[in-house]
Amino acid sequence: MSLDEKFSALRKGLLEFLLLKIIAADKVYVADILRQLSGTEFSTQEGTLYPLLSKMRRESLLDYEWQESDAGPPRKYYKLTAKGREQLRELTDYWNKIHGTVKGLGP
Amino acid sequence: MNKVIAIHLHGTAFQLEEGGYEALRAYLDNAARQLDGNPDKAEILADIEQAIADKFAARLTAGRNVVLTTEVEAVIAEVGPVENSSGAAADAKTEAGPQPFKTDSARTYTAKRLYRIKEGAMLGGVCNGLASYLGVDVTLLRLAVAVLIFFSFGTVAIAYLVAIVIIPKAVTPEQKAEANGPSQTAHDFVRMAREGYYEGMKSFPDRQARREWKRKFRSEMRDWKHNFRWEMKENFAAWKHGWQPTCPPCPPPPEAYSVVFPILSVLKALLLFFFVFAILSLIATGAVFGVSLPGGLPVWVGIVLLILAYKIVVSPIKAMRRAYYYRLQGRPYFWHPFAELAHGLLTVCILGLFLFLADRFIPGFHQALLAVPDFLRNTAESVRHWWNGH
Repeated sequence: MSLDEKFSALRKGLLEFLLLKIIAADKVYVADILRQLSGTEFSTQEGTLYPLLSKMRRESLLDYEWQESDAGPPRKYYKLTAKGREQLRELTDYWNKIHGTVKGLGP
Repeated sequence: MNKVIAIHLHGTAFQLEEGGYEALRAYLDNAARQLDGNPDKAEILADIEQAIADKFAARLTAGRNVVLTTEVEAVIAEVGPVENSSGAAADAKTEAGPQPFKTDSARTYTAKRLYRIKEGAMLGGVCNGLASYLGVDVTLLRLAVAVLIFFSFGTVAIAYLVAIVIIPKAVTPEQKAEANGPSQTAHDFVRMAREGYYEGMKSFPDRQARREWKRKFRSEMRDWKHNFRWEMKENFAAWKHGWQPTCPPCPPPPEAYSVVFPILSVLKALLLFFFVFAILSLIATGAVFGVSLPGGLPVWVGIVLLILAYKIVVSPIKAMRRAYYYRLQGRPYFWHPFAELAHGLLTVCILGLFLFLADRFIPGFHQALLAVPDFLRNTAESVRHWWNGH
């Protein structure tokens, strides 16, 4: 089993956290998100991203608004809701705790 | 020349190759199944379609407006499989592996219409158009019509004439496309794009976005119409210039052709000369090459028989000449009115030479020639007599 496979579940679980981080930094649309993730371990595709974003919106972690673009039809720009920001804070704390645990254990 | 299928993705119009259309259809169907039960299914699908549309648009350039199958496949791979992230049940479903694609019959808009097609037509293009319309071989249809004309004592011939008047001729590239079978017509396409346009209108909340959408739609439609016309013209020109690829692959004609062609021409002219001579001698002496007409048949029946015999003998030579002519020209063999005219003129010239020589050197031919006016009068007389007798 390669590393990639071993951590696939972990990556999948962390994707939502990363999305919250990316969207918190700036108002973005999907192509922006994909660009930021591409080249990292979390590189993903529209087929995964859109369903995930819509799920997060249903959980009212984020919302979007239509905005015109220079080329092509209007785009959906995503931004965090208050609940989303709250969740991001909690997740960041939790992540730091995990990170600390990983560092503190073993050699 | 591949078939193209026009679609709209979330309001943007595209033309895809047939294979690409199938692939995209299968992909979207599968995505829709994956998202079954997801409350945002429609919205996610719309987003995915939009993403695909953007990727298509990025791949097309001003000169090229058809998305190739390979490009569709690449775009699908880029967008990736749609995963439902609304719960554990859905995860189990994805783990079960890809579901077999349900391929529903491609919804192609085949607006086929009956036109007369003049390109490659024998007479009015009725058979040609009808063959395209019914999807049968034009030669078979022509044969059937010829046989029918014979057995119906001309009723079918009258029907043919009526058809020439009634059935419109395919003139514009769009009409030609319609006449030639399954195709996207401009009309259908515009209708489909409009549907997409109204769908899009509904999805925008504020007026600003809607106005922008409207402007985009209009300019897109304009571009598309222009491109379509241009492309149809190109396709049509290519089609007209021959089905075979243009000439580099076909070898230069062997030396023999330039020898055979004149021989065939002379042979044909010689036959025509004998034919004329036979008719003249029939008129002058009532016999052809010493064989007199059997059983008191009138002279004009003999002439009709002679014409038939001549036509039958000469037709293979004619066909061979034509085929050789096109080989010499290095072009595929198809009927062309001007080529035919040139053949005719050549034949008449050679015939004139033969007639002149015969008149000069064959005794009796001169007399036969002098008897022609008398014969014409007699023939007219006997036809009138025969007509009145019935």
